[in-house]
Amino acid sequence: MVKNKEYETVIGLEVHVELATKSKMFCSCSADWFGEKPNTHNCPVCMGLPGALPVPNGKAIEMCVKVGLALNCTVAKESKFDRKNYFYPDLPKGYQISQFDQPLSVKGYLPLLLDDGTVKRIGITRIHQEEDTGKLIHSVVDGKKVSLVDLNRSGVPLIEVVSEPDISSPQEAKLFLQQMRQIVRYLEVSDGDMEKGSLRCDANISLRPKGDKKLGTKVEIKNMNSFRSVERALESEIVRQTSLLNEEKKIVQETRGWDEDKAKTFSQRSKEESSDYRYFPEPDVPPMLLTEQQLTNIKKEIPELGFEKYTRLQKEYGLSKKFAAILTESRNMAQFYEDAVSVLMKASKGTKEQAGKDVANWIVTGVMKYLNETGASIRELLVEPAELIELILFVRDGTVSQTAGAQILDEMLRTDKSARYIIEEKGLQQISGTSELEGIVDKVIREHPEEVKKFKEGKTQVIGFLIGIGMKESKGKANPQVLKGLFDKKLK
Amino acid sequence: MQRFFTLTEAREKLVKKELSVTQLIEEAVTTINTTEKKLHAFNTLTLEQALEKAAKIDRQGTVKDIGPMGGIPIGYKDNFCTKGVRTTASSNILGNYIPIYNATVVDRYEKAGAISVGKLNCDAFAHGSSGENSDFGPTKNPWNLEYVPGGSSSGSGALVASGGAFLATGTDTGGSIRLPASFCGIVGLKPSYGRVSRYGIVAMTSSTDSIGCLTRSVKDAALALEVTAGKDIHDGTTVDKKVESYTSFCGKPVKGMTIGIPKEYFVKGIEKEVVDATEKAIEVYKSLGVKIKEVSLPHTEYATAVYYIVTPSEVSSNLARYDGVRYGYSDTEAPDMLSRYFNSRRDGFGAEAKRRIMIGTYALSSGYYDAYYKKAQQVRTLVCDDFKKAFQKVDLLLAPVSPTLPFKIGEKASDPLQMYLSDILTIAVNLAGVPGLAIPCGFAKGLPIGIQVIAPQFEEAKMFQAGYAYEQETKWHTMHPTLGENNGKK
Repeated sequence: MVKNKEYETVIGLEVHVELATKSKMFCSCSADWFGEKPNTHNCPVCMGLPGALPVPNGKAIEMCVKVGLALNCTVAKESKFDRKNYFYPDLPKGYQISQFDQPLSVKGYLPLLLDDGTVKRIGITRIHQEEDTGKLIHSVVDGKKVSLVDLNRSGVPLIEVVSEPDISSPQEAKLFLQQMRQIVRYLEVSDGDMEKGSLRCDANISLRPKGDKKLGTKVEIKNMNSFRSVERALESEIVRQTSLLNEEKKIVQETRGWDEDKAKTFSQRSKEESSDYRYFPEPDVPPMLLTEQQLTNIKKEIPELGFEKYTRLQKEYGLSKKFAAILTESRNMAQFYEDAVSVLMKASKGTKEQAGKDVANWIVTGVMKYLNETGASIRELLVEPAELIELILFVRDGTVSQTAGAQILDEMLRTDKSARYIIEEKGLQQISGTSELEGIVDKVIREHPEEVKKFKEGKTQVIGFLIGIGMKESKGKANPQVLKGLFDKKLK
Repeated sequence: MQRFFTLTEAREKLVKKELSVTQLIEEAVTTINTTEKKLHAFNTLTLEQALEKAAKIDRQGTVKDIGPMGGIPIGYKDNFCTKGVRTTASSNILGNYIPIYNATVVDRYEKAGAISVGKLNCDAFAHGSSGENSDFGPTKNPWNLEYVPGGSSSGSGALVASGGAFLATGTDTGGSIRLPASFCGIVGLKPSYGRVSRYGIVAMTSSTDSIGCLTRSVKDAALALEVTAGKDIHDGTTVDKKVESYTSFCGKPVKGMTIGIPKEYFVKGIEKEVVDATEKAIEVYKSLGVKIKEVSLPHTEYATAVYYIVTPSEVSSNLARYDGVRYGYSDTEAPDMLSRYFNSRRDGFGAEAKRRIMIGTYALSSGYYDAYYKKAQQVRTLVCDDFKKAFQKVDLLLAPVSPTLPFKIGEKASDPLQMYLSDILTIAVNLAGVPGLAIPCGFAKGLPIGIQVIAPQFEEAKMFQAGYAYEQETKWHTMHPTLGENNGKK
């Protein structure tokens, strides 16, 4: 028997991003279709009525160009729309207005930040502008199975980002999508929500013997509706293709769907059955010309992106890769962080790095914990950066202990009360006076003879335990440094 | 008879209150009621609404305040969407279709005060040169009921020539305004591509569809263009160029102008009567002090071939929306989605629409695209360049509209290729996007003949200037058919 070969995975992604424009791609209907009553966001254009003509939405084109620039692409000075012809009930014109051979952007890359902190460049083949289709609703009316058409989504602007086959694992594919989402959110061109279909992904995947240059036969996977399902679908496809190859069977070039429940891909159509879209230039929309000035203006609107921030935060504040990644996950989070650092810098002495690390600790352990627990977004936060800094300063100057500080922050996040208010309300001021703490220390010594004995025998590390009990006794208010001093004195 | 006033003359009478709008519309209604049985110019009549509207205008007072077309009867080709009024494009698949919006041009005419008398028959989806491709039966030529009125704006030609309205809209994709104007002895305006909005007009060939009109005089056409031309936010291919006062060019002298005669337009097979009439027209221009110069448009012979690739290609895509899902004819009994598509389209489209869908689908298929569509577009550029070069030497071009006199109903219906050749002298103008104006230039065998004046893109003013000068000198436009009575006599 031949020993099973080792294979490497080659993945390329096609990502559709629905743009968050006010109006649709080719008419003035509202593009905000999600959750609306069916067929209420429509006009002759997006219903494909006879005689209606498309007029392109300049804002959408601007957004598409923005994504192109953010992904380091070459933006075409001259571009055009094409018709992609096919029949389907959710496509009212019988063709989709898309771009074929002159996409708005080509040849870029996304610097993919891997989990181990290294960066891998994933090539971007092209980014083009198009319009979304309507939606089919399969339902039962008067006991009869029917398919209904909702055209609210018809004509909503979409961009398609096509990557090079540079992705080598399902994990990387998931990261690519997450980072794509981060980019479109930073650019504020889309909410990037996979659950709502604002971000959609098809994957091309093939295997080849390790070290081979030639690509294997690729399979396209569709209907993956979450980051997790992209990862799972690709994992399952690798297993399927590996066993076919090991059995020396041929991989069929085809489109496969992902069945979330069965956790399996299934065949949808083979290459022979694939449609000929009969692309030709859209005669109703004149070619687009982008001037240098327009391009410059669009460039100006691009903010510092997540990856750039991630790099800068490490350098500027000496943050770890992990902390930098967490703090730059969203533009609002990074903004909150940097605002807080700057308030702290103004309010206290110390280096930028000290301030940066201090604030980062509070956010990652306190604020992020709260956000993760409640599922709230940083936008919804009740606490202002300056309020967080007020608390940090109370901890720094010993007004409250670190432990109490964590408690206070939690309360602040949930109730919108200020740190000062909570401290007073709950009497959480740190007790640093030796006279007030002596009683507690005496009580602890009295009640824990075992530990006291150990300490006296030279096992000085038990002091930590004793301080802990003392803190508990003081309901977290005792200054641990003062407690330590007292224990040291009394047990000597 | 009042019905043989031109629009401009009728307007004067309305403004001076020598005539009420109701009188004018009643006259139109009477005329249409007698002629329609013979001509079949209409798919839908809106005479009652027209009379109501007329009465309303009369009650309100003076037409002058209403607009430049106040009280003027107009007919819309049935591929212009009219809100609440059935719009079929003369096809079964849209047989019961009622639009929810007006075409921009319809809005502009309505705003100017025009009163619609109804929707006019045409070749289905404007595919044709004779009017015979209407799914609802052909329109007859008012000069001889056995002859075609020319197409595709067949009803428009017949209505205006027979005196039912002063103005009818048309679409000219390869000659569909100029040809019926010529066959019916009236004026036909095909504006520059991009001059008039296409929004709300059932698309045929998006890259060559021009929205114009058929009238009884050059000045009327100039006025119609003043009303309809200009940028439309709903049509991205309209240009933001100033709309000139075209009527003010009607009457300016033409002395010193240079008109080119494209030698390629005197093709083999062109009928002698057509050549004679054109030569006489050239003599008229010479007598007006115009310099005549022979020019060459060397790629003319390829224009028809290019057109019959580009057109079906775009048609195959433009007709895809008629799928029986949302509106129009639908086989609702079909057992599944695919059969519903097949049956609705099989039964809803006529032979010519199907022919164009098939040719176009083939020409756009991968593997054939480069050889057909792409090549055709490259040759189209050469055709455009021909015009650009010619217009460096001359102000305007002059040529016959059709190589033949109007032909008999049924004569070419079974031979699509012969039919396609009717457009041989009009097609290049559409491919180049330049404007053309058809003007009556005489009669032979009792049937009208027309010439066309062709101008550089967006220079319609010059075209009206030259057209008007000729018209005033010859007065062919004052001849009217008697409809069956005394066939063949003027």
